Amino acid sequence: MNILEILSYGFIQRALLAGTLIALLCSVLGVFLVLRRLSLIGDGLAHVTFGSTAIALALKLYSAMSLLVSMPVVLLASLGILKLTEKGRLSGDAAIGIVSALGISAGIILASVGGGYNVDLLSYLFGNILSISREEVIIAAGLCVGVILLLTLYYHELFAIAFSEELAKVSGVSSSFINAVLVLLTALSVVLAMRLVGVMLISSMLIVPAASALQLARGFKVCILLAAVQGCSSVVIGIIVSIMTNLPASATIVVVNLVLFALSFLLRRIIYSKSNN
Amino acid sequence: MRTLNNYFYILLIFCFCFLPLSGCKKTADAPASGLQVVTTLFPLYDFARTIGGNKAQVTMLLPPGVEPHTFEPKPEDMIRISRAGLFIYTNRYMEPWAETVIKGIDNKKLTVVNAGHKVRYSVAASSEEDHHQAENYSSHDHKGMDPHVWLDFANAALMVDSILDGFIAADFNNADFYRRNADALKLKLAALDGRYKKTLAGCASRKLLHGGHYTFGYLAKRYNLDYHALSGVSSDSEPSASRMIELIAEIRSSKAKYLFAEELLSPRLTETLAKEAGVGVLMLHGAHNLSRDELNKGTTFFDLMDRNLERLQKGLGCTTK
Amino acid sequence: MHDEIVSTKHLACCYREGKVLEDISFQVQRGDYVGIVGPNGSGKSTLVKALLGLVAISDGSAMLFGSPLPEFKEWKKLGYLPQSLHLVNPVFPATVHETVGLGLLSHKRFPKRINGKDKIKIDETLKELNIYDLKHKLIGELSGGQLQRVLLARAIVNDPELLVLDEPTAALDPETRDRFYTMIGSLNQKRGVTVMLVTHDSGAIGRHASKMLYLDKKMLFFGSFEQFCHSPEMSSLFGEHSQHLMCHRH
Repeated sequence: MNILEILSYGFIQRALLAGTLIALLCSVLGVFLVLRRLSLIGDGLAHVTFGSTAIALALKLYSAMSLLVSMPVVLLASLGILKLTEKGRLSGDAAIGIVSALGISAGIILASVGGGYNVDLLSYLFGNILSISREEVIIAAGLCVGVILLLTLYYHELFAIAFSEELAKVSGVSSSFINAVLVLLTALSVVLAMRLVGVMLISSMLIVPAASALQLARGFKVCILLAAVQGCSSVVIGIIVSIMTNLPASATIVVVNLVLFALSFLLRRIIYSKSNN
Repeated sequence: MRTLNNYFYILLIFCFCFLPLSGCKKTADAPASGLQVVTTLFPLYDFARTIGGNKAQVTMLLPPGVEPHTFEPKPEDMIRISRAGLFIYTNRYMEPWAETVIKGIDNKKLTVVNAGHKVRYSVAASSEEDHHQAENYSSHDHKGMDPHVWLDFANAALMVDSILDGFIAADFNNADFYRRNADALKLKLAALDGRYKKTLAGCASRKLLHGGHYTFGYLAKRYNLDYHALSGVSSDSEPSASRMIELIAEIRSSKAKYLFAEELLSPRLTETLAKEAGVGVLMLHGAHNLSRDELNKGTTFFDLMDRNLERLQKGLGCTTK
Repeated sequence: MHDEIVSTKHLACCYREGKVLEDISFQVQRGDYVGIVGPNGSGKSTLVKALLGLVAISDGSAMLFGSPLPEFKEWKKLGYLPQSLHLVNPVFPATVHETVGLGLLSHKRFPKRINGKDKIKIDETLKELNIYDLKHKLIGELSGGQLQRVLLARAIVNDPELLVLDEPTAALDPETRDRFYTMIGSLNQKRGVTVMLVTHDSGAIGRHASKMLYLDKKMLFFGSFEQFCHSPEMSSLFGEHSQHLMCHRH
């Protein structure tokens, strides 16, 4: 099968397009999250989405309607993580762990005491990058434009807070507001993108491109650009490789990301050993 | 500011706390008289309640809508099994957790029935050229065996035999009663088989194309249909893009008008494929489990299978002679 | 123009463990160079943080540039150099240029952008502190002294009227430390920047400070440098040797 023929399939086109948009969004957000030690927030919020979708399905709200329940709950949970780190003397990972455990246990309890559902919860919860509809491409594009726009407008504030919350405050940056912007944008992206491409892809997209960029970047802006480039190219490479090797697409994209991380890591080692000699 | 924060916490706690309460009414039915029977999946539940009639109290472990692979018994379920006289499961491919659960139960009076021990298993592949795919997709704990044995109605009758043996072993006094019910059930299964044979004999297409996990292999084999599923039996497996392209090509070349999806599961992938190939989507029921609404309506195995037959007739373009 | 840059009345401040500061009242005038000294754990850093709004005040009040602290919004008049080594994440990928640019945010309205004029200003500041050649280095690649100067550049790039320095010389060797104090002293004298400097480095402070504040949970002394040097009370508290070292201007 040649590439042009493969690209003639609508679902491949939509996977490439929506996948790239979501990768862009997640990898840029990821740089801030990794530096703030909130890397696992994607997984944590996915668990909360699981719990809140259990509520929605118990109320017989499906697909788009279930977002009406899960969206506010997940946004609230993301603020909860923030409050726990600010007021609870907890590090980000512990706060995420607590909220995520709450989400998943609430979901499991609801699944059993709610007397079951009319559909299988997990199959509705996690999307697949190969089954994105035209409307969902538009959702992904809107989300991507919105998040990137806000990140651009607040770039320096987010940068200042990630660098040092104390110094940022003395420069007149409202840390509680900027932190809330960051976690709310993340929550929004996780809830929507999880349904499109699945949770594995989201959480790896939040962490791995940022981790690679941190190996090589000389400058903060460069770091964000590198992460975005890796995120987007991993989707394109991953989908093409998955077609050629007959492997599931999402897992292949994750593996491509990990390979790129390993290369960045090695490259850094080589550069360092050269500059030391 | 401080009061605002407090409201926030209260709201958060409230959100997670009040919801579980709404479901508490369901459980704790009054203990009924007669043989207590616990079944795992829906076909066993339906067969057992037909055989047991008013002499047995039959319950199903799986909550409505839940995938049997991901199910985990609750403490209450364990208590129910330890008080039961009869426990029926399908086979170790379908409910890998069933045997572990039984090992943990200390109940000497419990009769355990592996309903699938007499049936003839098939490998999860519909035709020779699909064989390699089935091997690729099936995870190793399934050993490539298709666990959906009840979808071959001759196998279903063998399962009825095994269940009947269990009933007699657990409650010999009512053996004749159970036997009469089982015989009637087997007659109904034979009649269902006859309807399928007759209806599916004259179809425009013999290709059963399914945009989901391998489920309907037994059905297809029995009625001489050519079954193509998107992915393997394991619910964890994910289709590759090239497999999706293959299936689209298959649909286009077969001139089929419909692609089938499985009820209870999200039809997203099937819809994507159907749209790509320009065909419609029809839902078939795998009958592992029911939706909550169906359970409340008292839907039977035969209701599901007759509905499947109608849809197969429509999807494959069958004309009854 | 308020000539009273900082003033506190009966300020008290606590962490959760209990009161750290009690009943602090003093005024800093424009052009003052205040040295804040005291033993370890006496609350020097806490006082500075309370004045900058980083730690909540539990009692009393503080004013910055004539406005009470919660309402204070003129962040562009402030420059702050914290105890740097605790502050900077060594893997943070920012360059020196980007880091110094953060000091200009207090001048900007939403959406904050660094323009060409700002870049010139950043370059000038880097040259002034003799670290222009580090411009493209990552902050993780700097030595303690270099990092200190970069953070000072960040604190003064916005031409603050009040510069608050918290133990700025902790990471420096004696020679660099002397240069550092000379730099701060000239900012105070040539540009009229008001300076508040927390240190336990008694030897170097005396050359520039015009006022002294001695803190040990309570404020035990606040007055001119000369008064401080002639106070027998301070001499006994501070140690005669240290007092002499500080007051004997070279």
